[in-house]
Amino acid sequence: MTAQVRSVWFWLALAVLVILIVTLLYPLINVLASSLSSARADGRSGWSVLLAEPKYLRAVANTVTLGAIVTLAATAIGVPLAYVAARYDFPGKALIAILPLTTLVVPEVIAAQTWLMMLGNNGLLTRTLAGWGIGLPSFYGWPGLITVMTFIYYTYVYIGTLAAIRGFDAQLEEAARGLGTSPAVSRLKVMLPVVLPAILASALLVFTLVVGNFAVATILGHKVELLSVLTYQTFISEVSTDPVMQSTLASVSIGLVALVLFLQRWVVSRGRYEIVLGRGAKPVAMRGLKSFGLALAAALVVIISLLPLATVVAGAFTVSRGPVMRWGEWTTAHLWRVFVNAPDPIINTLLYAGTATLISVFFATLVSYLIVKKRTILTPAIDYLTALPLALSGTVIGIGLVMSFNSGWMAITGTGAIIVLAYVIRRLPFGIRNASSTLYNIPNSIEEASISLGVPPLRSFAKVVLPLMIPSVAAAGVLVWTTTVAELSASVVVYSGGRETMPIQIFRLIDSGLMAQASAYGFVLVLMIVIPILLATTVFRLDIFGSR
Amino acid sequence: MARIVIDRLSVAYSGMRVIDGLSLEIEEGSFFTLLGPSGCGKTTLLRTIAGFNPVQSGTLRFGDRDVTNLPAHQRDIGMVFQDYALFPDKTVFDNVAYGLRARRVDAATIRRKVGEALERVGLSAFPERHPVALSGGQRQRVALARALVIQPQVLLMDEPLSNLDAKLRVQVRETIADLQREAGITTVFVTHDQEEALALSDRIGLMRQGSLEQVGPPEDIYRRPVSAYVADFVGAANTVPVDLEAPLAAGMPTRVNLGGIPVAALAPEALGAGSATLVARPEDIALIRGHAAGTLPGIVRRKQYLGGKTAYGIEVAQRQLAVDLHGEDHSGFAIGDPVGVVLDSAKTLVVRS
Repeated sequence: MTAQVRSVWFWLALAVLVILIVTLLYPLINVLASSLSSARADGRSGWSVLLAEPKYLRAVANTVTLGAIVTLAATAIGVPLAYVAARYDFPGKALIAILPLTTLVVPEVIAAQTWLMMLGNNGLLTRTLAGWGIGLPSFYGWPGLITVMTFIYYTYVYIGTLAAIRGFDAQLEEAARGLGTSPAVSRLKVMLPVVLPAILASALLVFTLVVGNFAVATILGHKVELLSVLTYQTFISEVSTDPVMQSTLASVSIGLVALVLFLQRWVVSRGRYEIVLGRGAKPVAMRGLKSFGLALAAALVVIISLLPLATVVAGAFTVSRGPVMRWGEWTTAHLWRVFVNAPDPIINTLLYAGTATLISVFFATLVSYLIVKKRTILTPAIDYLTALPLALSGTVIGIGLVMSFNSGWMAITGTGAIIVLAYVIRRLPFGIRNASSTLYNIPNSIEEASISLGVPPLRSFAKVVLPLMIPSVAAAGVLVWTTTVAELSASVVVYSGGRETMPIQIFRLIDSGLMAQASAYGFVLVLMIVIPILLATTVFRLDIFGSR
Repeated sequence: MARIVIDRLSVAYSGMRVIDGLSLEIEEGSFFTLLGPSGCGKTTLLRTIAGFNPVQSGTLRFGDRDVTNLPAHQRDIGMVFQDYALFPDKTVFDNVAYGLRARRVDAATIRRKVGEALERVGLSAFPERHPVALSGGQRQRVALARALVIQPQVLLMDEPLSNLDAKLRVQVRETIADLQREAGITTVFVTHDQEEALALSDRIGLMRQGSLEQVGPPEDIYRRPVSAYVADFVGAANTVPVDLEAPLAAGMPTRVNLGGIPVAALAPEALGAGSATLVARPEDIALIRGHAAGTLPGIVRRKQYLGGKTAYGIEVAQRQLAVDLHGEDHSGFAIGDPVGVVLDSAKTLVVRS
């Protein structure tokens, strides 16, 4: 103990812990505590209102239903695609490799917007088909929610399953076949149990993301009441701000996600077999009709996934009259407007996301080093707190921050600082996971060698460990940047007039039906995401997706 | 160069005492080996000497300096690690120069000293390579050069040979022995390999559960083990539990009962009455054809021809004794042969169990 207290790392850990408690735990406790207080005007507690009013219960039921359907649909697409990608070669397979990129490159708000531009009431496809006499049902509500979310989230299942199948030792399968079972049966009996935990874990992750989803839910939800939408509406409602109700709804979604994450942990821990990391099976080349079918199915998934990207680029240059897009007529007026008349969202995004990325990278590097290499009695607490944002939707984080830092010694509500803080907190687990992945591969002995040669601990870290961490820290920085510039759900809660970021601006333009304007901002936003990724992977040769 | 004096040292890991009141003196300029199975505390002791583990109680001195609470980077040590611990982003030259640069040595001196150090380990050919481009043996030589170039007071080595294959292990072992002799730096070497310990050391400390079971020159450890644990760990040994009727003084010849036949043996240390262990090394046992008077009657049950010797398993009084025969005609006995077993009375020992 005494030795621990003496060390410089202990004091750094303590400082980190204090920061986490103030900026993360305190707002969360505020939300939960406020849901229990009975400070509503009519004297009823938030929970009794929740149980009494059908719209709230419907929202909970709708959210769970939507989560279940999207999870199933995303699994149904993601798992077969991963299996096919891992085990077969067919024409055009290389295209599948870019799929994980699409969710990263296309922010949710743009995905929702572009689907509307295709299938919404004024959508290109809707109108074209109507011209042929085919009436499509309204895309708003359940059809839109399920379609868009499925095509955003299936990549998570795909990535998780692909990694598991690739890591699965094909010799086990061969052994089973050697013992007399048929190829198909061996696969089912030997591979499935090993890969299943990974599938379940990623499926449950999708469920939590659906519960927390704000952009798609708000844009496409229409009359379907959803928890995240209702929470947000209670928060911004100008007629009757209802802090108790908003905290209660936030608490429900925290509970829902916590429950699922707990389930996920349990699944993952049960699935912890001693998996000998063997050579995965070599992909088998497919020929003839079968390969054509596979290629076609895969291509369909790829095309649908890339559709938002194409639409937003086209939309940015298409002439529009109010909400009506004049497809086929081109203009640069929207971009002109974005850059010259109203560049504030771009400047705000660069400023806030840039600051947040720098802080995140610094903080994540420090924290991951403390967690992996310098364990003290404070480590478990830091470990838990830094994972906490995974269980909190952006809306909840935003509400917690606004409630906590409205007044007092840290009154930052209404400033740019609260946006930066919301960004940093949301992306914290992400940054730490990326920074720590290399740390496990850096042996402690290197640092000790440096110390033994006469260099003090902190300088040893800077001279020996830090240079080795830089590639992964830089990769983490790029990832944090790309996800932060696209952040909507927390920033839309904490921002104030004049501090709109690009996703917020896009969200507002969609609300007003100005799709071309939204596309122009969307196009710039996508560039702000794509260019750093391209630079990092091609010029600096960073392995951005290695640790994902 | 300094004498290392350890006085009633205790080290704890999360509440568990790993080193318990250990005292030891290591002569200036000598090569001392901490030997023992994994988990015996030898690496913990080494890392405590280095300053990586906090001391719970007791003192640790290098010469006249009390270093008990001195941070590792101020102890003036050189350390060699099992996994080499070379800085992967730095060249061979920069690795070796690292400690000198930390000591603010001027560039010309650094160039000269690093050149000399690399020459001494036989690696002057590629100072600009990165560690990835080196073989395991070469990496460990760089690590050695890096530790020695700063002329530390104490050189500490944590199983430096165990990641190398058998042939390299012997080569690097010889390099270590030569360098240590030349530099005359007080060296503490940790290993679980008894052959390494015997080959390299001036003295060996055999550890068991956080304390020293026996400390002495290699010959003493091998020839005069104080306990069955030492005899068993260092070299091969037949150990047979026996009962002592009376206490024995150190060096006293005695006779113990083995399957009803009295056998002459020595006690290297004083022993109380009661249960003890008879220790006989396989090479200290002779075989005579047929059952002769004054020998233990046995039957050949196992035979392995190993070229320079033959290893036999002889059944004597319901237990099997390992017997190694060298010399001419060592493979002359066949399985099933009745033999008379003769234990060398000067080399057969009675020790505590």
